[in-house]
Amino acid sequence: MRRYMADQVVSAGRLRRKPPASEYPETTHSANEKAGQTLTGWRFNLLGILFFLAGVMIIIQLVRLQFSPERTEFVSQGDLYSRTLHIFYPPRGDIYDRWGRLLAGSTLVYEVGAQVDNVENADTISFALSKVLSSHPEYDYPEYSDQIYSVIHRAEISGTAYVQLADFVTPEELTQLQDWANNYAKLPNVDYGEAGRPSLNGLVYRPRLQRYYPEDTLGANILGFVNREGTGMFGVEAEFNDLLAGAPQSVWMSLNPYEVSEIPQLKSGADLILTIDREIQAAAEDVLNKALDDSGADGGVILVMDPNTGEMLAIASTPRLNPNIYWDYANVFTGNTPFNRAVSQDYEPGSVFKVLTMAAALDDGAVKPDTEFVDSGSIEIGGLTIHNWDWGAWGPQNMQGCMAHSLNVCLTWVATQLGAGQFYKYMQNFGFGRITGVDLAGEAPGRLKLPGDTDWYEAELGTNSFGQGIAVTPIQMVMAISSVANGKGEMMMPHVMRSMVRDGFQYTPTPQVIGHPISADTARTLTELLANSLEGESSDALVDGYRLAGKTGTAEIATPTGYSSTETNASFVGWGPVDNPRFLVFVWLERPTSSIWGSIVAAPVFHDMVERLVVLMDIPPDGALQGLANH
Amino acid sequence: METIQQLTHAYEQAPWRRQMYMIGVILLILVSAAIVAGIYLNVTARAATVGRQIQEMQVRVYGYHYLTNDAGEAMVPIEELEQRIANLTSQLAIFSSYQVMQERVNDLNLQPIDADHIQYIEVPGYIDRQTTILAPPPEPMVVTASTIDPQFKESLFVWVADQVQKTARYFSEVRP
Repeated sequence: MRRYMADQVVSAGRLRRKPPASEYPETTHSANEKAGQTLTGWRFNLLGILFFLAGVMIIIQLVRLQFSPERTEFVSQGDLYSRTLHIFYPPRGDIYDRWGRLLAGSTLVYEVGAQVDNVENADTISFALSKVLSSHPEYDYPEYSDQIYSVIHRAEISGTAYVQLADFVTPEELTQLQDWANNYAKLPNVDYGEAGRPSLNGLVYRPRLQRYYPEDTLGANILGFVNREGTGMFGVEAEFNDLLAGAPQSVWMSLNPYEVSEIPQLKSGADLILTIDREIQAAAEDVLNKALDDSGADGGVILVMDPNTGEMLAIASTPRLNPNIYWDYANVFTGNTPFNRAVSQDYEPGSVFKVLTMAAALDDGAVKPDTEFVDSGSIEIGGLTIHNWDWGAWGPQNMQGCMAHSLNVCLTWVATQLGAGQFYKYMQNFGFGRITGVDLAGEAPGRLKLPGDTDWYEAELGTNSFGQGIAVTPIQMVMAISSVANGKGEMMMPHVMRSMVRDGFQYTPTPQVIGHPISADTARTLTELLANSLEGESSDALVDGYRLAGKTGTAEIATPTGYSSTETNASFVGWGPVDNPRFLVFVWLERPTSSIWGSIVAAPVFHDMVERLVVLMDIPPDGALQGLANH
Repeated sequence: METIQQLTHAYEQAPWRRQMYMIGVILLILVSAAIVAGIYLNVTARAATVGRQIQEMQVRVYGYHYLTNDAGEAMVPIEELEQRIANLTSQLAIFSSYQVMQERVNDLNLQPIDADHIQYIEVPGYIDRQTTILAPPPEPMVVTASTIDPQFKESLFVWVADQVQKTARYFSEVRP
């Protein structure tokens, strides 16, 4: 072991020393090896140089490309194909009634088109689409098949990548198309001759949401509709379009998988909860339809309002469009027929306006309920002689009698007692001549001629006092009369939007008081006066068990040749229960033919409406309330 | 001098050792580079795969679908789920619409009740029907301003520092 160690452990210097020739004989092998190493060395060096030069060339080329004139074009082309622009539309907000029943939502529809490069058989595509969409309202015409074929053919020639062939395709129709496509895909690969192998390859679809109204025509005049471009038209849809639609976002989406950008979290459109009660709305539309049938009227309106808050519980108007087939608009609304008569059509209201004339006179102190007026059957004002509706003289009357018998002569006298200045001041305070601000699109301002206007004459004071020569909308009437009906003299802003749900929170605006045109005392006095009038006249408007206040109205309609005595606007406005007003109902029938009088055609409509209203609103009869109070 | 040479010779390596050393170093560099490249490729490949999956899901949101390709139900984008929910909500609304309810009422031969046939009774504590609430009301703004004088809360050090600052400010203001 020691010997071995001695052999191995030697100094490094001795290893490097050249050994003597006797110990290690010289051979020719080491010379050859040295020559070979030299040869290998220069080859490696040459290879290294070549690689180095290649690298340098690559770098030079890279630098050259970076600074070449074509660089800008290359970069722009790269950008063009590296990303695509997409516009994301948030889902449109839903609309509910006051109890949370969906009135306007969304449903899935599909856009169907062809990726032209992938189309194998345009004949099959045109045949399948025309058959499957044969019952679709937009594609049920015989030329549709040929149109599809020519569209695809033109796209092939022009090099268009994609063409749209159908839109608003229902899920059921799409399922049929998918079945067709799957069946074609299973066909055997045999020779199909000139027609080629049937195939729906190249046909693609894209889902999206479309506005849908599950109640069809119910409340259609309030809701409006959403057109092809996604814009709200009429009613709530138009008024709150920006809120409902939300804000679309444009995003450049990179095609590079390393640069995947997130699809923006879109803020959905706000949901709206309306003040409308679906059941009351349905009842109002039902009663109105029956009234039109019975009276032969051209059109009509029934408004139901909570006079304490201004919340509209129902707005029924004719005609009504099914918003799911809004393209029928031109067929439904012919001529100048407005979408919603309640807000967009002004008319001469007639004697229902006397409520406001009397309210102004009582509030001003110009008359008192027991003020006596001797009706001689006519009165002259501004050169115009005014008569009563029956051309009769009613003799001595107090204000209740004037209202109960709807005496034009008496109300003209009342207006003169009030004076033009005060009369028109009150009428302006009641909001006439300007829009109410109701949250429905397309409101008309009406027309209130004022002293000083070029077309105002002194006689206007007389005619205006009983609702002729003035243009108002039904919504203006309910707003003005709400100040009387709620017994507080507060004129409430009519509105249909109760709450808005946005960003996870529900915002409920407080009801707005537009003004105090009359005092609470005046409101209560007039309500009592009108309730007694109805009871005294045994009006058809009365409902057993409930004390109601109201007034009929019959207005002659102006024609190019003067006022017509056969064409009238029949109205009724009433509210109740008198002790605790819960509803205000306004009825207007345009040109009834069964009778021209509001007391005959409009008062029963009010009665029918209230009969259903007290059940739907859980309003106990006055007697039941007193019994409970005594108990 | 000889000692230095001896030491130099002692620590000089043989050519084959130097070659082995160089080969080892180069191999180490190559292996290290290969490991780094492998890790890099693995990570980037996975990133690309996930990126493609995301893009495919995004295409389901904004792109086109082929008729014969069944959409996979395993990974459905939120947007598509929201579309389906909206669609189902509308379907539900149809089933409970006024018209459908009226048809059911007629089928069951039910009659609307008249006001005369309703009996009202007093129910203590009865709360009238409330309109729908789809979301909570916005949170009221909470005023966090304290009504306690800072002198009752600040530490002695803060109070002294404040007093010094006030004094310094006083002298700086009165200086002409």
